[in-house]
Amino acid sequence: MAIEKMVPLMLGGIRDTMYMTVVSTLFAYLLGFPLAILLVLTAPKGLRPHALVYRVLDAVVNIFRSIPFLILMILVIPLTRLIAGKAYGSTATIVPLVIAAAPYVARMIESSLLEVDPGVIEAAQSMGASIPAIILKVIIPEAKTSLIVGATISSGTILGYSAMSGAIGGGGLGQIAISYGYNRYQTDVLLVTVVLLVILMQIIQAIGMYISRKTDKRIRE
Amino acid sequence: MPLIELKHLTKTFKGKTQTVEALRDINLEINQGDIYGIIGMSGAGKSTLVRCINFLERPTSGSVIIDGKDLSTLSQKELRQLRQQVSMIFQHFNLLQQRDVRGNIAFAMEIAGKKKAEIDRRIDELLEIVGLTDRQHNYPSQLSGGQQQRVAIARALATNPKIILCDEATSALDPTTTTSILNLLREINRTLGITIVIITHEMSVVESICSHVAIIDDGALAEVGTVEQVFSQPKSKAAKKLIFRKAGADTGVMGDRMIRIVFEGTASNEPYIASLILECHVSVNIMYADTRDVGGKTFGQMILQLPEDHLQQDKIIYYLRNKGLRVEEVSSDGH
Ligand SMILES: Nc1ncnc2c1ncn2[C@@H]1O[C@H](COP(=O)(O)OP(=O)(O)OP(=O)(O)O)[C@@H](O)[C@H]1O
Ligand SMILES: [Mg+2]
Repeated sequence: MAIEKMVPLMLGGIRDTMYMTVVSTLFAYLLGFPLAILLVLTAPKGLRPHALVYRVLDAVVNIFRSIPFLILMILVIPLTRLIAGKAYGSTATIVPLVIAAAPYVARMIESSLLEVDPGVIEAAQSMGASIPAIILKVIIPEAKTSLIVGATISSGTILGYSAMSGAIGGGGLGQIAISYGYNRYQTDVLLVTVVLLVILMQIIQAIGMYISRKTDKRIRE
Repeated sequence: MPLIELKHLTKTFKGKTQTVEALRDINLEINQGDIYGIIGMSGAGKSTLVRCINFLERPTSGSVIIDGKDLSTLSQKELRQLRQQVSMIFQHFNLLQQRDVRGNIAFAMEIAGKKKAEIDRRIDELLEIVGLTDRQHNYPSQLSGGQQQRVAIARALATNPKIILCDEATSALDPTTTTSILNLLREINRTLGITIVIITHEMSVVESICSHVAIIDDGALAEVGTVEQVFSQPKSKAAKKLIFRKAGADTGVMGDRMIRIVFEGTASNEPYIASLILECHVSVNIMYADTRDVGGKTFGQMILQLPEDHLQQDKIIYYLRNKGLRVEEVSSDGH
């Protein structure tokens, strides 16, 4: 493909891919964060153990996580139509992306929150801290570094899903790779999209790790 | 009226396969101003007991009464308020790793709903008390264990508590640091009148700062009293085991007749053994000797291996008893 055609095509692809990744990650966190907090609170050793709530949430998360993304995307097409008005394109793809990523993100956050030293939580309880205070002032701030690392990994995974969605009507770099590289045998286009996806992934990684290291007070200067 | 009163306290942990009776019918009274030691072997139930005092652990039965209030009658909110009066410090300090020294001290006051200006002023005072003013902007990872425990103590003092509970507060520290932390606690008790409950498995901690001691063994209290009483005349097997633990380990091998001499306060500055040898013309073998200072008086014990001759043995025992010392036979297993 001629370079004059390739550049705008790729720029559009990057824009769409970033759009899907960023918006989906945001919504996945909006759903996943409360879910993770509920899981941590109601767990058998949590601050407010509740066997029923915990088991139901745990099962829901597991079920959604075990459905392969492409199949999930097909399964939720009716819902996607309902929310986005159509089942293809970047905006529509956000719907299955969020549904697939939210449980993944919830697990990621849950494991970060569980890493917090139970002794510190006990200390807060011994000072008379309420549960909301423990969550907001102890658990989340103490898990901050791990949460940022988790967010980096999650957005990388969501970037991967978004590329995969190109196979069945998603937009962005994945769709370009499929329709030019695979359907029309334009290997150069395929290669460029792969390189661009790798670079995007690296950038996300680098930014995430930089922020997490910068904000971690446990490291001696 | 005692400040802390435990009545028929029991705690049972029910697991899937087994139940553990961690505490059995504990009755204890701790008065305002006491430094009360609770000592016992690992697994005796010390941590469970101290966690029951602030209801971090709800007792299975019995009651905890603090300052006249029965904790089981309090609502969650009242309980949280009470906990601001009953601070706690821990073996592993349990500081917020992502907050600096000031932030950690501030935390206790934020929980108590104090205003920013008041918090800042109080932090300055507290830093002064624990001697960490020059480290106020450091994070816990930049501090030594002793310094971290000082931060924890400042945090515990922040809300002007009546009581400080210490669960193995010095067990992660070296002897010198332990001494300095114990001195700080004693100072706090003396100047601020705060009642301190100290959980430990180390005899030396109880000796150096406690006024009273309770010995807990397998979930039950074996012995309770002033440190002087319990240390000079331990009655229960558990108390003897704790107090004479080191001695017991040293004797077993010899098998000959041995005696333990117990120095009860006033007598330790007289050279008993030297006079014994000179006056009775006998020789004895000092197997073990340990004297310590408790509350200004010297307490101690010594284990002697006696000569073969029975007459000489009796003479030695008679001599020592006559001098007002308590002499006990040592069996080969140390009690
Ligand atoms: N949450 C729990 N569930 C079940 N058993 C428990 C629990 N907490 C403590 N126990 C049991 O209760 C007993 C007393 O434990 P506790 O932690 O109070 O001992 P301890 O005297 O503090 O020991 P250590 O010196 O080792 O800290 C032990 O047998 C322990 O296994
Ligand atoms: Mg313990």
